[in-house]
Amino acid sequence: MDMMEEFKQKFIEEAEELITNLEESILILEKNPKDQEQVQLIFRIMHTLKGNGGMFGFNKISEFTHNLESIYDFVRNGDMDVTTDLLNITLKAVDHLKVLLEVGDDLDTQTQETHYHYTSQIEQIISRKSGGTGPAPRGTSPARTIQTNNFHHGESAFSTYFISFKPNDYIFNNGTNPLYLMDEISTMGHAVAIPHFENVPEITSFEPTKCYTWWEVFISTKENRGNLADVFIFVEDDAIIEITEIADYDLFEEKAFNTYAEFLQTENQHADLKEIKKIIDNATEITDIPEILEESPGLEQTDKSDVPQLGDREIKKPKPKAESSISSIRVSSDKVDTLMNLVSEMVTVQARLSLFAEQNNIPELIAISENVQKLAKQLRDNAFSISLIPIGSILTRFQRLVRDLSNELGKKINFEIEGEETELDKTIIERITDPLLHIIRNCLDHGIEKPELRLEKGKPETGSILFKAYYSGSNVHIMVRDDGAGLDPERILSKAKKKGLIDESEILDRKQIFDLIFAPGFSTAEVVSDVSGRGVGMDVVNKKISEIRGEVLIESEIDKGTTMTIILPLTLSIIDGMQVQIDDEYYIIPLGAVHKIYSITGTTAEKAFDNVIVLEGEQLPFFNLRKEFEIGGRVPQKLEVLVVKYEHGMVGLIIDKVIGEYQTVLKPLGKHYKKQQFISGGTILGDGSVALVLDTNKIISKFSRKNTKPEDVK
Amino acid sequence: MPKTILVVDDSYSVREAVGYTLKNEGFLVFSAEDGQDALKYLDSRKIDLVITDLHMPNLNGIELTRKVRKIDHYARVPIIILTTESQFVKKQEAKEAGATGWIVKPFVPEKLMTVIKRVIR
Amino acid sequence: MSESQTLENNSYLTFMLGDEIFASHVSNVIKILEMQRITEVPRAPSFMKGVINLRGNVLPVIDARIKFGLPATLYTERTCILVLNLKIDDETVEVGAIVDAVNDVIEYSQDKIQPAPRLGSKYKSDFIDGVMKLNDQFIMILNMNTVFSTEDIIDLQEQTNANKEVVSDDETSKTE
Repeated sequence: MDMMEEFKQKFIEEAEELITNLEESILILEKNPKDQEQVQLIFRIMHTLKGNGGMFGFNKISEFTHNLESIYDFVRNGDMDVTTDLLNITLKAVDHLKVLLEVGDDLDTQTQETHYHYTSQIEQIISRKSGGTGPAPRGTSPARTIQTNNFHHGESAFSTYFISFKPNDYIFNNGTNPLYLMDEISTMGHAVAIPHFENVPEITSFEPTKCYTWWEVFISTKENRGNLADVFIFVEDDAIIEITEIADYDLFEEKAFNTYAEFLQTENQHADLKEIKKIIDNATEITDIPEILEESPGLEQTDKSDVPQLGDREIKKPKPKAESSISSIRVSSDKVDTLMNLVSEMVTVQARLSLFAEQNNIPELIAISENVQKLAKQLRDNAFSISLIPIGSILTRFQRLVRDLSNELGKKINFEIEGEETELDKTIIERITDPLLHIIRNCLDHGIEKPELRLEKGKPETGSILFKAYYSGSNVHIMVRDDGAGLDPERILSKAKKKGLIDESEILDRKQIFDLIFAPGFSTAEVVSDVSGRGVGMDVVNKKISEIRGEVLIESEIDKGTTMTIILPLTLSIIDGMQVQIDDEYYIIPLGAVHKIYSITGTTAEKAFDNVIVLEGEQLPFFNLRKEFEIGGRVPQKLEVLVVKYEHGMVGLIIDKVIGEYQTVLKPLGKHYKKQQFISGGTILGDGSVALVLDTNKIISKFSRKNTKPEDVK
Repeated sequence: MPKTILVVDDSYSVREAVGYTLKNEGFLVFSAEDGQDALKYLDSRKIDLVITDLHMPNLNGIELTRKVRKIDHYARVPIIILTTESQFVKKQEAKEAGATGWIVKPFVPEKLMTVIKRVIR
Repeated sequence: MSESQTLENNSYLTFMLGDEIFASHVSNVIKILEMQRITEVPRAPSFMKGVINLRGNVLPVIDARIKFGLPATLYTERTCILVLNLKIDDETVEVGAIVDAVNDVIEYSQDKIQPAPRLGSKYKSDFIDGVMKLNDQFIMILNMNTVFSTEDIIDLQEQTNANKEVVSDDETSKTE
């Protein structure tokens, strides 16, 4: 039973995936109702859900998809058109399927109601169709139950049947072995089978691929006639099968009948039903005490000479090939999480080992530790790649949102997607979904104008939203761009002032103004609409993205549109870092961010004019982290500059010295340090102390903002 | 040597469930995701029975059956089609393609074994 | 209710900040660590001393002296870090608090606890669960959840700053 539960779980996982694909296909089909590929896919998914649902105890799903399958069968055969109506009901059905998958067969009253509601809507589509040319739909009743096992519902009383089974001579062609059918029949009760060989030709004209034998069987069984016929179901077109009930009790209880059957078997005689009738008639007069019967000799006596044995067939032995490998396996996400945690712990322990080896200076230990380090790194990279999933996996939800909402709002929208194969850490994808939904909702609600207004503005009637994901260094960028109304800086500013978010006198640059929409309590919509402005606003979006060490950039132009770019780390837990030192503190800087390292003297840094130093003839703006971090102490003679990429250029970060690469397991600093956003977190060093992990992008943006003002004055 | 069965279905939960049932009965089970995949297996192994779904991407069950029948040493290997009631019309098409029999989905393990024992031992 | 629970419910940890004794209900204190090297976090408020490694995780540490508006002093052998388990906005948060010394764990019957003095106190009543009297000395029972919760840190600092003024006023005028 545990096994069954496990299969059920697998079915659920698979069904979830199928339903997502289904939704996606419907949305594609909506754009191009002639897309046969999607129709096929939809049909196949309905088919799979129907067939498998019942197997894993989801009978409601099975029932529900039954008629949908028929509908899409019509569609793919060209007997029905793809209409908006059909797509609408299918999408609703998709939502309902999600519910059914969750609750199983026990529906509460409300779900029950929706179930019947949709079922009857779907039925209507079918019944409208049934006047048409297509094949008549089978079973349109919603309450219809699908028979899962037609084996064990025979009557409890015995009956005796006579079966005549005359296979055509080509019956072997499809891989049928009539012997197995005889075997099966004999398992269904007390049976005597009489093989007949009179058609077997002389050895000279004998063809081993042909079947010459036929059978007569007497069987007393509790099974009904249908179940007996069922045994021959594969061969009913390839054989003459007669099944006759000869008595409504176990005829083998009659001694005379046993004797007769034995006679037929030994003499290979054809059964004579008149003879049997006589036996029955006599028997009804005197009821014999039943004897203990011998096992039926059954098929043992069958001459097997003309029956090719499947197992004996000559098969060219193929050269042993490499096992064709399984290209992918499924692992529950819990297991991946555990793996990541274990790898994190291992990386931390490995750091301790390295330090210990160094401190003790035992060559062999150092060698071992280096090997462990290498392995840990490979293991980490591998585990990391396992936890990556493409962003495409959540896109259907966005497509669905755009579809439903644009209909609701009466806006025309072309939603384009680029870079759906871009991979991100599973945890990040999970946590980015809601913020993205909110951003897209904003595009639809506040961004894209109504068609009339767009035409007035001289824009195409249909608005467009572009969703684009791409890699950039050690980050992933997700861009959502609309060609809607855009953000008005003046309006944002006046609103922020009115709400007391900023002082009347404050002067902000464009970026700072746009960032105001992230302030709690700020909403750009004049009227709180049904769609976006319900309390949770951009501040929540910003907060959620910050929580995963991401950042949102806004660019917007009035009447041209708005672009929101979310910059995300590739992973949350482990990063390749560079360990650096300032004074007696260690810091970790993501390795991916570091472009080059230069040595400079302390005095160069001190005397640098306008926060710019010259390296290899290039002017480089820089930040002295010792100063910015307000670390006192003596500046050493020699310093190092890390050149890191920032937006469109390079920026130098001055530190005391670079220690080396460090595999960093990131630990959050906790709520108390949530204002220190330029610090991604902490990591445990080999000696057990904590080093801070720096977010170079945020360091630069934080400290440059602070620095710009005095420089501008100059 | 246990009999070898190839289960072809694009649904992995079916592959798993069918595979499990068959393994429990002592069969050696391989599984393939679609017809194309199945042909690869048939190429490299001796398979005693093919159980295949009808609707699959790339190569469907009927096409697979036709192809299998064209392979010399598989001309008589039993092929069981997994079908649903609504596709019963397909039964004839499958038989003409060379299928031995079919199992109507949904099915329970006992039913599966009943049908399988009709074609191999 | 079992006896041990009853005992625990009446148990308080007392500790020193400057010359004053404070108490915390034991349920808030997970463990007491010796003073150790703390990794400083740049650009944080002065009472946020930094972070330490606690069982492989990062624990933020608050200097309770600075937080209560007392002058920072050098750490001594008696200085320790109380690892506190706080409830902040329905979340459990662990934080370390540096105190000058840990005195004792005492039992004090709940019904003997007096309510926090409301006016004229140096400390805002939200932060005080009550007052216990021990050897003729009044001991404030701190509500660790509010005292060390993130949102209240700044408030408390302002509060203590304001109180410092009140205190100094007190010292000069003695009437308020």
